[in-house]
Amino acid sequence: MTEPIPVTTTVNGVPHNAAVEARKTLADYLREDCLVTGVHLGCEQGACGACTVLLDGIAVRACLLFAVQVDGSTVTTAEGLMDPDGTLSTVQEAFRNCHGLQCGFCTPGFVISATAFLENHPHPTLDDIRTGLSGNLCRCTGYQGIVAAVQQAASKLSTRSGSEDKQ
Amino acid sequence: MLAAHGDEAKLLAGGQSLVPLLALRLARCEHLIDINGVDALKTITRANGSLRIGAMVRQATIEADLTLLEAAPLLTLATPHIGHFQIRNRGTIGGSVAHADPAAEYPAVAVALDAEIEIASATSRRAVAATDFFDGAFSTALEDDELLVAIILPVWSGQSGFAIREVARRHGDFALAGAAVGIQVDQQANIDRAAVVLFGVGNQPQRATAAEAALLGMPLEKLNTAELGRLATTDLLVIDDGHASASYRRRVGAHLAGNAIASAVRHICEEEEKEV
Amino acid sequence: MTTAETASAPPEAARFVGQSVRRVEDKRLVTGHGRYVDDVVLPGMFHVAFARSDFARARIVALDTTAAAALPGVHAVFTASELNHHVDSLRSSMVTAEQAIVPAHVLADGDVRFVGDPIALVVADNRYLAEDAIDLLDVEYEALLPVVDFEQAASDQNLVHPELGTNVAGVEHSTNAGVAPALANAAVVVTETFRQHRQRNMPMETRGLVVDWQPYAERVDIWASTQSPHELTLTAARVLNLGEHQVRVHMGDVGGAFGQKVFLGRDEIAVLLAARAVGRPLKWIEDRRENLIAANSARVDRTTVTMGLDDDARIVAAEIDQLNDSGAYPLGGVPANSNNLVSMFPGPYAIPLMSWSAGSVFTNTSGRGAYRGPWQMETVARELMIDTLARRIGMDPLELRRHNVIRQEDLPYTTATGNVYERISPAETLEQAVAMLDYDAFRVGQTEARLDGRYLGVGLSLFIEPTSKGAGALGNEGAVVRVELDGSVSVYMGTGSHGQGLETTIAQVVADELGIDMAVVAFHQGHGSPYGFGTGGSRSAVIAGGAARAAASGVRQQILHLAAHVLEAGPEDLRIELGVVSVAGTPTRSVSVAELARTAYTQPEALPPDTAPGLEHSARYQAPPVTFSNAAHVCTCEVDVNTGIVTLLRYLVSEDCGVMVNPMIVQGQIAGGVAQGIGGALFEHSPYDTDGNPLAATMLDYLIPTSAEIPIIEIGHIVTPSDSPGGHKGVGEGGAIGSPPCVVNAVNDALSPFGVAFTKQPITPNAVLRALDEVRTESAT
Repeated sequence: MTEPIPVTTTVNGVPHNAAVEARKTLADYLREDCLVTGVHLGCEQGACGACTVLLDGIAVRACLLFAVQVDGSTVTTAEGLMDPDGTLSTVQEAFRNCHGLQCGFCTPGFVISATAFLENHPHPTLDDIRTGLSGNLCRCTGYQGIVAAVQQAASKLSTRSGSEDKQ
Repeated sequence: MLAAHGDEAKLLAGGQSLVPLLALRLARCEHLIDINGVDALKTITRANGSLRIGAMVRQATIEADLTLLEAAPLLTLATPHIGHFQIRNRGTIGGSVAHADPAAEYPAVAVALDAEIEIASATSRRAVAATDFFDGAFSTALEDDELLVAIILPVWSGQSGFAIREVARRHGDFALAGAAVGIQVDQQANIDRAAVVLFGVGNQPQRATAAEAALLGMPLEKLNTAELGRLATTDLLVIDDGHASASYRRRVGAHLAGNAIASAVRHICEEEEKEV
Repeated sequence: MTTAETASAPPEAARFVGQSVRRVEDKRLVTGHGRYVDDVVLPGMFHVAFARSDFARARIVALDTTAAAALPGVHAVFTASELNHHVDSLRSSMVTAEQAIVPAHVLADGDVRFVGDPIALVVADNRYLAEDAIDLLDVEYEALLPVVDFEQAASDQNLVHPELGTNVAGVEHSTNAGVAPALANAAVVVTETFRQHRQRNMPMETRGLVVDWQPYAERVDIWASTQSPHELTLTAARVLNLGEHQVRVHMGDVGGAFGQKVFLGRDEIAVLLAARAVGRPLKWIEDRRENLIAANSARVDRTTVTMGLDDDARIVAAEIDQLNDSGAYPLGGVPANSNNLVSMFPGPYAIPLMSWSAGSVFTNTSGRGAYRGPWQMETVARELMIDTLARRIGMDPLELRRHNVIRQEDLPYTTATGNVYERISPAETLEQAVAMLDYDAFRVGQTEARLDGRYLGVGLSLFIEPTSKGAGALGNEGAVVRVELDGSVSVYMGTGSHGQGLETTIAQVVADELGIDMAVVAFHQGHGSPYGFGTGGSRSAVIAGGAARAAASGVRQQILHLAAHVLEAGPEDLRIELGVVSVAGTPTRSVSVAELARTAYTQPEALPPDTAPGLEHSARYQAPPVTFSNAAHVCTCEVDVNTGIVTLLRYLVSEDCGVMVNPMIVQGQIAGGVAQGIGGALFEHSPYDTDGNPLAATMLDYLIPTSAEIPIIEIGHIVTPSDSPGGHKGVGEGGAIGSPPCVVNAVNDALSPFGVAFTKQPITPNAVLRALDEVRTESAT
């Protein structure tokens, strides 16, 4: 048995201090110690993408990191993509508009992945989107609404950045 | 630390291969040594006609690095085939090479480019040629107390073209069969360096020495890539498993090798056209 | 709360029903604020993990839990001896004890019967510790020869369930004397055997529950990932020896199910019993490995079909011989039955005569459970046979279907299995689908591509879906619709929405019926709701919608009765629009629903004579025995004959589910089902080796399609209303019914120049090259 190790992070803008077992995954730490339950566990193998979060702005699988590895880091989850007044992000709004979700279990991971994807590919083709998001699995939608949502978000974001508003 | 703990300890690099095994309790260890904070392992330097890439350089970094694209195109071409971008954001070149999955791209690229693997222990350093580094599925020349420090890739000089082709069940899945090819030509447009490596077909990346020998000295426009592809799978050790049979791998390996050779040749011709 | 008897104006034109209204659920789900069972945390809660068998069939020689129980942080370890005696039947609550013939072993008792069979339940402070404790269990097995091949199980001397004395779970047949002579006189007769392989529902959220046993309150609270809160209530009451009034099931968000979460698994029953014994809240969340090897699986089917055609290419008769694999512990204790499969086999074609035999066997594998259209092997076998016949007689498969499809002028049509079709449109969907594709243009392009050495193919599939079945315990749903004092509306139903968007669609129905804004309608499931089957079986629009409509209609009568009194008008002259009741033509004479509610609840002296206070109504809707919907699927593909990779180019569906409540949701249901069928046809396989080891235990082995593998799915609609209120029909399962044979037919069409015709799935790259090799070898000899 190891002694709990202190971990300090900022999750969705909120500072957290906890002491955790060395083997506790980032996903479990976020869910249990930070009470950020939008991080979902679909496989705990890194295969399904439901646990995808932004670690210092980079999309990663929270189930494949240990909490102790992210001491001092910033984590953003789907809960943290909204504006402070609760306005949905462009990507979140697009998922809602395009029926990009049914049961919602894969959705937080998809929203994070799509957000990261669009930051690096602001003008994706349909095929870019289909291959770019292939790291997130969905069992309900057949991906139709998801792909449409990412197309809509890409279009809105590029219009907005074209007029130099913040994203 | 590795020396102290022996086989009770494992190194944690990107974690994209190791942590799933730990989660399934298929791999167990008393200690995990996290090397993500070791900045010395994250550098990329170029000197003496070689690229030295630190073990902890992330696959995503490699994917985006334009100087790497120019110096070692095969490495950059291979990178998008690795899983998905979220995996590449954490996965490392050192981790991939040390893990030695027979279906992985980076080990094949290391072999194709005649890389050297730089290894360190608490007390010593050594370098192993990539062709000698892999000795079976998930098995390398690394001892329990050693750390893979860097991959040293020779920069191919002159006119060269590279290609990688693979077949997987779904986008981002492990290769059922794959070919990594590098071709270099001299001033007379005859091939003076050829690397054809098959991966995913056996227990480790394999050089198709017969095909490479046949390529040497050949002018580009005389190549029968389909025949060369077939030649590439002679003397190949091919495995049979739940995902594909040995005959599938041999046949598709030949097809992919031929395609990759043709693509590498086109790469050279396009480069020539650009310079004209 | 009485229903007013007076006549009243019918609801105004639908404002919400028929519109692709954005879902109520989505705001919380896209922001990660859904509440799934693993998000439920109770004070003092402990965590459960199961130790499971590594052998398919073995005696448990010794099981020592001492070391496991002694691990700090472990609170209890349960085995069969502590738990099993509480339960005398594994039956679901929808069936009788006599029907549930599977032995009632909650945990494995002295022997194990499939890899993944739970042998012990560990309770610990957290899941990590619980799994550490499992590592400390000392188990000794004596391995026995397992029964793995379901096609040999009936004659295998080794018994999956020795108590039953046989591996045969059931056999039935029906011979129509006209079949044999019809086939004897047919111009061409083909017999072919089709197989379908083991697939897994694989919802993104695994199973799980939290159980809070409160002996002093004499009740238990349960949160679960479930499709059926009432099934859970009934079964929990039975196994815990409680009254149903003492069980409260809380329905939160559920991360998909596709049939896996209707009935309780043995592991879930064990958690209920353990919670009572431990006296602290217990949480069990299945992990993905368990979900892929131990949770129920589906679709292991073998169907041998004989079909004959006359000189005009009309089907004269059919004969099928069907075998199901029930695994070791089929869900609900009842082995798989073939009733729906047999009944639906004739499908949308005029097949006058049919004989059939159907059987089910046990094997030492994970038990069979329901998975989206559990009977769909009938469509797989039939649609593959149609194409087989077409190839035999050299006719385009589209033409053969056109020769045999049931047309409007044939309705009502009674099938050879006794189904009566009245409001279906298979011919219309077939034509719409092929028009959307431009089938003829595809055939031209296909010929050109072959000259270039490229192999494109087109596949068709046509089917009828029996939805909203109204039999027995499944036949009705109830709804309570209550207007609150401020005019908002609460709806309570015994459904179990798990992605279908019932919070939205029921609100649409109720809002239209009451004439209010759906933004003030809240939908509740679980505890406090009236009994209902839950959600599954493509029943939501018809049965749930029917109940909601009936209850809302009762409230509407009450509103109009009261408003007529207040506005001094006849109820037939009133209109309700967005929560305001007004006299038609005189909008200034109006009163809001909110004001009426306040009056109804707090001013009894202001009520009309003989009117009870309140605005609330409870109603049930009994569905007709079955409501048939139908669809046609067509897809195109390219097969790379060098690598065996199949790429889908276009996928089109023409569907008729009657009047759609929410077209966006209908399309989502179809697309999701199609993706699962594509998965089964090309990617997904959960095989067992000859020792009974499951070979696809992770999501890197059990491959569901990613966004890169699923093309854009184009959907066209035909609307043939049902005669149920609203004119709706079910549609949820259809996508998964029509898609596998559509894809297989497309691949076979692409490879027809080589004479390759797959009769089973998945069609992997390896399988394609092997098939090409085999025909090359055959033609060489």
